[in-house]
Amino acid sequence: MMIMNTNYKRMTNRLLLAAIAVLMGTGCQKSWLTPKPESIYTPEQTYTTAAALQDALVSCERNLRYEWYGDGAPIISQMIFSDVAVDGISDKSGPAQDLNLDITPDAITSGNDNADHNRIYWYWEQSYYRLKYANTVLAYINVPKWDTTDAAQLAQRNALIGSAYFFRAYTYYELCNNFGNVPYAGKLYSSPKLDFQTVDRKVILEEMKKEMEYAVQWVPDGVPKGEVTKGACQHMLTKINLALGDFDDAIKSATDLINGGTYHLMTDRFGVDANDTSHNVIWDLHRPANKILPQNTEGLMYVIDLDGYKNNGDYGGGMSTMRQALPNWYKSINTPAGHNGMTDKVGVEYDLDTKYGRGIGRCRGTWYSTHEIWSDDPGDLRHAPGNWMTMEDLVYNEPSLKGSDPYYGKHLQLYTDDGKTLLCADTTRNWFDWPHYKLFVPDNENSTNNGGHTSWYVFRLAETYLLRAEAYYWKGDLVNAAKDINEVRKRAHATRMIDPGEVNIGTILDERARELYYEEPRHTEMVRISYLFAQTGKADYKGRTYNMNEFSTKNFWYDRIMDLTEFYNKGKFTIHGDEYTMSPYHVLWPVPQSAIDANVNGHINQNEGYNGSQNNVAPLEELPQD
Amino acid sequence: MKRTVLPSAFRLLGVIAILLVGRSVYSQNITVQGKVTSQGSTTGTPGVSVSVQGTTTGAVTDENGQYKLSNVPSQATLVFSYIGYKKVTEEVNGRRQINIVLEPESSSLNQLVVIGYGTTKKKDLTGAISSVNVAKLQNENRTSVQDALRSNIPGLSVGVVSTAKPGGSLEIRGQNSLNAGNSPLIVVDGVIYYGALSDINPQDVATVDVLKDASAAAVYGAKSASGVILITTKKGQVGKPIINFNTNIAIATMEINQPVYQGEDFIKWRTDVENSIHGFAEKPYQFNDPRQLPSDVSLDDWLAYDGSQGDPVDVWLTRLNFKPVEIANYKKGQVINWYKMMFQNAVQQNYTLSLSGATDKLNYYWSGGYLNNKGIVVGDKYSTIQSRLKLEAEVTKFLTVGINTQFADRDESGVPLNWGLIVNNSPYGSMYNDDSSDYRYSPQDDPGGGSRNPLLGPKYTDRLKKYYTLNSIIYGKVTLPFDITYTVNFTPEFEWYQYFNHNFSQDPDHQKTGGDAERDNHTIYQWQVDNILSWNKTFNDHHFEVTLLANSEKYQYWENDMKANDFDPSDVLSYHNMGAAVNASISSDDEYSTGAALMGRLFYSYKDRYMLTLSMRKDGYSAFGQKYPWAQFPAAALGWVFTQEPFFKSSWLDYGKLRLSYGVNGNRDIGRYSALSNLSTGKYLEINPDGTVNVVSQLYVNQMQNTDLKWERTAAYNIGLDFSVFHDIVDGSIEVYKGKTTNLLVSRALPDVVGFSNVQTNLGEVDNKGLEITLNTHNINHPNFTWNSSLNFSLNRNSIVHLYGNMVDITDSTGKVIGQRESDDITNKWFIGHPIDAIWDIKVQGVYQSDEADAAARYGQKPGDFKLQDVNDDGKYTNDDRQFLGYSKPRFQWTFRNDFTFYKNFDLSLLIYSYWGYMASFNQAKNRDGFPDRTDAYVHPYWTPEHPSNTYARVYSSDGGASYNVYRNRNFIRLDNIALGYTFPKPLLHKASIQDFKVYFSVKNAALYAPDWENWDPDWDPNVGPGPTPRTYTLGFNLTL
Repeated sequence: MMIMNTNYKRMTNRLLLAAIAVLMGTGCQKSWLTPKPESIYTPEQTYTTAAALQDALVSCERNLRYEWYGDGAPIISQMIFSDVAVDGISDKSGPAQDLNLDITPDAITSGNDNADHNRIYWYWEQSYYRLKYANTVLAYINVPKWDTTDAAQLAQRNALIGSAYFFRAYTYYELCNNFGNVPYAGKLYSSPKLDFQTVDRKVILEEMKKEMEYAVQWVPDGVPKGEVTKGACQHMLTKINLALGDFDDAIKSATDLINGGTYHLMTDRFGVDANDTSHNVIWDLHRPANKILPQNTEGLMYVIDLDGYKNNGDYGGGMSTMRQALPNWYKSINTPAGHNGMTDKVGVEYDLDTKYGRGIGRCRGTWYSTHEIWSDDPGDLRHAPGNWMTMEDLVYNEPSLKGSDPYYGKHLQLYTDDGKTLLCADTTRNWFDWPHYKLFVPDNENSTNNGGHTSWYVFRLAETYLLRAEAYYWKGDLVNAAKDINEVRKRAHATRMIDPGEVNIGTILDERARELYYEEPRHTEMVRISYLFAQTGKADYKGRTYNMNEFSTKNFWYDRIMDLTEFYNKGKFTIHGDEYTMSPYHVLWPVPQSAIDANVNGHINQNEGYNGSQNNVAPLEELPQD
Repeated sequence: MKRTVLPSAFRLLGVIAILLVGRSVYSQNITVQGKVTSQGSTTGTPGVSVSVQGTTTGAVTDENGQYKLSNVPSQATLVFSYIGYKKVTEEVNGRRQINIVLEPESSSLNQLVVIGYGTTKKKDLTGAISSVNVAKLQNENRTSVQDALRSNIPGLSVGVVSTAKPGGSLEIRGQNSLNAGNSPLIVVDGVIYYGALSDINPQDVATVDVLKDASAAAVYGAKSASGVILITTKKGQVGKPIINFNTNIAIATMEINQPVYQGEDFIKWRTDVENSIHGFAEKPYQFNDPRQLPSDVSLDDWLAYDGSQGDPVDVWLTRLNFKPVEIANYKKGQVINWYKMMFQNAVQQNYTLSLSGATDKLNYYWSGGYLNNKGIVVGDKYSTIQSRLKLEAEVTKFLTVGINTQFADRDESGVPLNWGLIVNNSPYGSMYNDDSSDYRYSPQDDPGGGSRNPLLGPKYTDRLKKYYTLNSIIYGKVTLPFDITYTVNFTPEFEWYQYFNHNFSQDPDHQKTGGDAERDNHTIYQWQVDNILSWNKTFNDHHFEVTLLANSEKYQYWENDMKANDFDPSDVLSYHNMGAAVNASISSDDEYSTGAALMGRLFYSYKDRYMLTLSMRKDGYSAFGQKYPWAQFPAAALGWVFTQEPFFKSSWLDYGKLRLSYGVNGNRDIGRYSALSNLSTGKYLEINPDGTVNVVSQLYVNQMQNTDLKWERTAAYNIGLDFSVFHDIVDGSIEVYKGKTTNLLVSRALPDVVGFSNVQTNLGEVDNKGLEITLNTHNINHPNFTWNSSLNFSLNRNSIVHLYGNMVDITDSTGKVIGQRESDDITNKWFIGHPIDAIWDIKVQGVYQSDEADAAARYGQKPGDFKLQDVNDDGKYTNDDRQFLGYSKPRFQWTFRNDFTFYKNFDLSLLIYSYWGYMASFNQAKNRDGFPDRTDAYVHPYWTPEHPSNTYARVYSSDGGASYNVYRNRNFIRLDNIALGYTFPKPLLHKASIQDFKVYFSVKNAALYAPDWENWDPDWDPNVGPGPTPRTYTLGFNLTL
């Protein structure tokens, strides 16, 4: 018993000691609770090399791609807030048609940032995200150990800065020409900031000009497509110069680019279809495979998407150009014999879905962009058969008509043979022309042909010519303006050259519409021009003059759309009964209410005409320091 | 019961004598006195109520257990009752001295309740704890732990589940956190359990205790802010080995149907859709059947509306947007009922075999379970194999070791049909391709409208989705001198997960990519160590219990995922040969976290009358590891059995105890890396100058860091009253609580300008208060018929007190500043002074009728659109027009349970529960879900000029530029369960050497009353949303050998 007891005691003592050791050991070590992120890159640990900063720029490149890609791509919002297109989804409320009703600060939300509404919120939110990505490069640029006495290292460092500047300039250029005066995000924020103030757009654009002058100096050409090039910076600088009204500087920066020797308009046949005589150079210029060929010297800046990189760098689902911008041609169209004539089924005898793509008529070209600008030049390749599609180019393809309806396989007609009866029930959504050469992207992913993977031009040299033409126009040098416009026209084999005497802002906007449909941010550009009219007091082609004080009630943007549109404020209703309306104040988009609400310690201004603008305070006249 | 007065034979004789002689002979009154003691004790038991049956005469025993009753009829019956002990009825039979020994009652106050790192007797509780004896629910075929808890605990909400996999979310005493999780902490056999509840076989569970108040939960500090659920599994009983076999088979059927249009109804509806789209009758009868035109519309005119010719039926159906295949099927009279195809009567099987027993040195329990469920949606299936082994050996008299291990294999490979297609597919579509080679991709040849053949995807999907989990508790208990016990638990938990999926290229949705395959694996390994020292001592009337804990834990997670497509030469090998893919992408995610805790608790009671619990816990968690990993959680609680006070006299209150507690709990239920800045990566492409492709990575800051992030804290008071009245006919408890949650873990909305839409931070304060009432009544207690009821009622109110502390001016009507108030968070719809679940939206006042076209036009709307209240009448719908319309969580809930026993061997139980006073959005009333002109739809009313409605809008109604939801009340009362069991008589069974044999039948979701809700079941599975829910009929038996 004695032995038992001693053993017992010894054992319990040991256990007690062990227990205390465990208690002390696990509970109290300081390092025990240190967070250990194993699969997460943290900024301090990661942004330490040039390669990592380059990856930060890739975030900007990738973010930029969204502007043209996917269902209800943001670029469509640019187009429907302009003279070239309207939202053609005609069977429901929600799409931006009745702008007076639908475009309000409260309705511009993340919940409505989708194909069924509009992408104004996208342009707000993603712009600031992209600025964050660019500001990340600037925040960490001095962390890698640069030897700045080494010319190559200095050039590499400064090229990174210049590329980040490019994305800042690109983004602020769009913000300032979509929303006007906006808050300025000058750096990468690492703690919440809730006291933003609106800054005068001119102040921001002047800063961007400085940054782009730096970028032009340091960013090289000859880098992989998708990255920022010197040419892109020169082009961007030209746009900023124009926006600031610095026309001489704009002419200079554009001329430096055009005469730089690196970039040229593509005037000769090239690429995958070069030997196919049924096509032409305009067709070649927009083939998915050709855009990114080394011999393509026209592209200044691209966003990249390719077939065969699913989940590995591609844009999921493809860019969807055909779905967005082709008419809903397979619906509500009768043959003159009175039968439903069309089908979007693939694999039928006349497989129009595969040959041209399946559209839903969201981005509906206006009469202006589909007819008016083409009316006096039959030679223009951009409107030539094979490149340009009209509804009459299609044939009645519903297979059940074969043998029973004489019109099967015949070309579509809008009216019965006697011209009395309309054969299409919804000509807004189902019946309009489109630029096949640009929108046709073979779809190797979706079961219907929506528009697959292709790279897209962000900037190309043709636009540089048109920007310089515009600078000449503002300066009154119409001879040179006409010359630049005609450079673009010549390449398109247009037969009618523009005479200096007829150059006005309309001439330039017409040429932009011909050349840059579904490429340029049309609303941004028209607003920039409207600001110039208001700032310069120069009369437009109808002799109208503008000023800044009345900008939201009287502006060139609104007047031009009213000159040309057959939709907005023309008593035009969708079949669902929604009216196409628009007001002068829509020249600037509303700032999302959520941004104003969340900024509790400061005041972000609302644009005039929208609810909340009554609380505006004067915008800052210099850049905030933090 | 032990009788001390007469042997039973004499007593029997006495009774016979009374019966023979009759009452009147002995009807004189006497004084009776005596002493009441409890079993195993010689000192008297104070506070025992003694009463004369059928009268109001009664007394309570004094401090020495003595009682005295005068004026008692000599033939009366005395009733002795005391909480925690069996009731004793004793006939007086003329005696003047009656002494009684009380026997403890196992199922009442002496019942052991798990309180966290220990157990206590229910009568010693100082906190608010509710318990469920799961074994008692045998008849009801509770197939998951959550199911067992549903409607059995006041203040606990259990979400319903519609899938084959049983389960459901849990929430105790409402929502106190805005963004962090609100699910309670699970503790199994005394150790925190992070595994899946679905891996615990409910057949293995003996009891579940729910710690609801802060003081009870505070011993678990970390994560206990949302309450604690303590699960105790069964163990062996001393005696011969027992084999128990339980099996049941069930049929799940559709509880509610939500029909879609079929046949002619579909055509009529489509006619109205087109009329509505076209603003109603621009061209008379344009969309109506041309064979039934009125005399004033000629067929030629009708055809000429759009230049149509040919078969008028073709023209008509084309106008209704019918595709050729639909027209052909209409003419053939072929209608497909997609609805019927989606749903089924599903067979569910459940088997559990257990073996248990104990000797004085060894206790063992083993079980194996198999559950195989099909769901009411075709293709939904779930099966699991579960096994538990518990061994406990007393190695020496001071050392006990044990293991409690649980293995589960969960198979969730089912590919349910996409039942949502019932609204997308046309009844006039076709099942097969024209050449019958395969299922038709889109039955009505309109894939863009979302229609798909529901059978096609599953046919070409190959899926393996399995979880294997192994959860163990390995422990040792050492008895030390001075009544000290040391326990160490080591708890390793493993989870292995496989998700292998292939969508074959024969599926048109995956044709162009050449098939899409994925292999996703993860492994979780986490462990905890608990070191517990406890000391238990009684000195005379003083009882002490001290518990000390040191705990540490570690979590590790490793995930690999690969996705591939475009297989060469083909994808016939499914996901088994990923290397054959031309395109592949890989990703991985590893996570790691650590925690630690120290806890001390003191329980003290004096004379079993006054009780005090004090505890303090310190918790650390690595997610808060940058600056504030540690937090402290104190708690205190008092209990007072006031009916034991000598001065307390009541003839109707048998037992009363007041509890008062205060405690602080923490919430750490956020992402492991929420406080850190996180770079996101992704792939992008670049083209080298030579034309080759570069796959490059993007890298951006996705999450704003917050080094100051710390624990969310809830400090709460609880006042509880436990009582038993009317000689134990009614007992119950009332709990009132008030809690304050501060440092809320919120995802705060930021202006986008900063580059982040939100940041994880600690802000604000939310207050919760509530009331819970439990009443148990023993209505009838007759040998051949017993009836017991229990009623639970609970309500919880919360209110946001502070958010970010930003003050805004309050102005009067002239714009003059008259004060300040804290600003609301409109972005998240959180308002100071309002509950988290307040609904703030534009009010629907009705529907614009035909004569209100002008009023509607002001908002760009038309008759048939919802009429919204423009509060400030400015002609626009803005935030200024939003108002508080109601609540999205129930205002109160109640449960009413009735248990009956007939003829000893039959038991019947009925359970009803109700959630009341809450709303949910019902935007179906806008009648524009999806593409009404291309698909089918649920049968809901809609407005037309001929059949106006004030609650449903026209098809494709317009919102007039407003963004708002339509709401309906979700209120319901549900007959949740009817269960009937029959226990075979013991004598019969013993002949066959069977201990116990029971047969049972139950109906779950037997009936539902929901007066205002019109979209499936109002009590839906929050993970799925409104949809089909099952009604289950179960037949089973339980055999014990």
